[in-house]
Amino acid sequence: MELSEKQIERYSRQIVLKEIGGMGQKKLMKSTLTIIGLGGLGSPAAYYLAAAGIGKLKLVDFDYVELSNLQRQILHFSEDINKRKTISALEKLNSLNLDCSIEIINKKVSIDNIREIIQNSDFVIEGSDNFATKMLVNDACVYLKIPFTIAGAIRYHGQLLTVVPEKRTTCYRCVFGTIKNLDDRMSCSQAGVIGVIPGILGSIEANEAIKYLLEIGDLITNKMLFVDLLKNNFSFINVYREINCIICGENPKDFTEIKRYGSDIACH
Amino acid sequence: MSLEKNIQNEKEVNKLDLRGKVCPMTFVNTKLSLEKLKSGEFLEVLLDFPPAVENVPENCRRQNLAKVVRITPIKQNKSYWELIFEKI
Repeated sequence: MELSEKQIERYSRQIVLKEIGGMGQKKLMKSTLTIIGLGGLGSPAAYYLAAAGIGKLKLVDFDYVELSNLQRQILHFSEDINKRKTISALEKLNSLNLDCSIEIINKKVSIDNIREIIQNSDFVIEGSDNFATKMLVNDACVYLKIPFTIAGAIRYHGQLLTVVPEKRTTCYRCVFGTIKNLDDRMSCSQAGVIGVIPGILGSIEANEAIKYLLEIGDLITNKMLFVDLLKNNFSFINVYREINCIICGENPKDFTEIKRYGSDIACH
Repeated sequence: MSLEKNIQNEKEVNKLDLRGKVCPMTFVNTKLSLEKLKSGEFLEVLLDFPPAVENVPENCRRQNLAKVVRITPIKQNKSYWELIFEKI
């Protein structure tokens, strides 16, 4: 694969970087990523990844654009209200960069379809708005040994963890697996969310994917990033593998056999 | 292989004419060409954008890509510079 003159110019500001160059750019162009959720987190992640020239993005969302989404979900515009988020995203990303091929999947991620959705992905970006989906993505990715990053954002706060199953890093379930009664209905609609916070966390998710693909820098593994935009606090807290974790511990279960909990009610 | 011996054999020197290009494309194109070379091979780059004559070698040095062997100003009706790099 040779870069065209247009591609050299389009990606010049990252080809210039010591760690990327032409070889790194070609690696990005051969990569396939899946983005689950095209809201506040998935929008900036998809945007930066398409802009960076990722070869293929699989975009997964079952929802439709609503007026109240536009305050933070930057892929969607006023004229997209009532449009499928996948279609709205596809239109923007095609307009941004046709080098990036887009596959859209209009499905709610479930235990029955997640394997098919994330299979053959080099990396998965989790950007859903609910705990149950995050845990399902964690379990399926760990089980199928697909690296991924999970972020969450609410009010002025955000958190993020990257997991590399091959390297046996701490998984999301190791950290939150003991929470049994998390009420998803208290997600962003009622709690509120400042638009910037998923913007920052989704951007960091994209950066994690790029670093993983290029094997450069440090990933946010075995520690969680916590961001508080009200108090301007950016901190990392070490998180440790749980040897009894039912998905990454010493006696792991098949992810399809794990009892699911948490509300199925999606946040609007 | 020494530079002078190599330079005598024009076909063995990789050439890149970046006259008309400005920064950062001068460095981007130089970098992409250097990436294709093996250690010890030479690249001749022609530049007519004056800041690039300093910036391109400086960035090649910082990124440990190549060392500058020679910079020759060429005075013609439109002057330019001929830079010879050796891939690290």
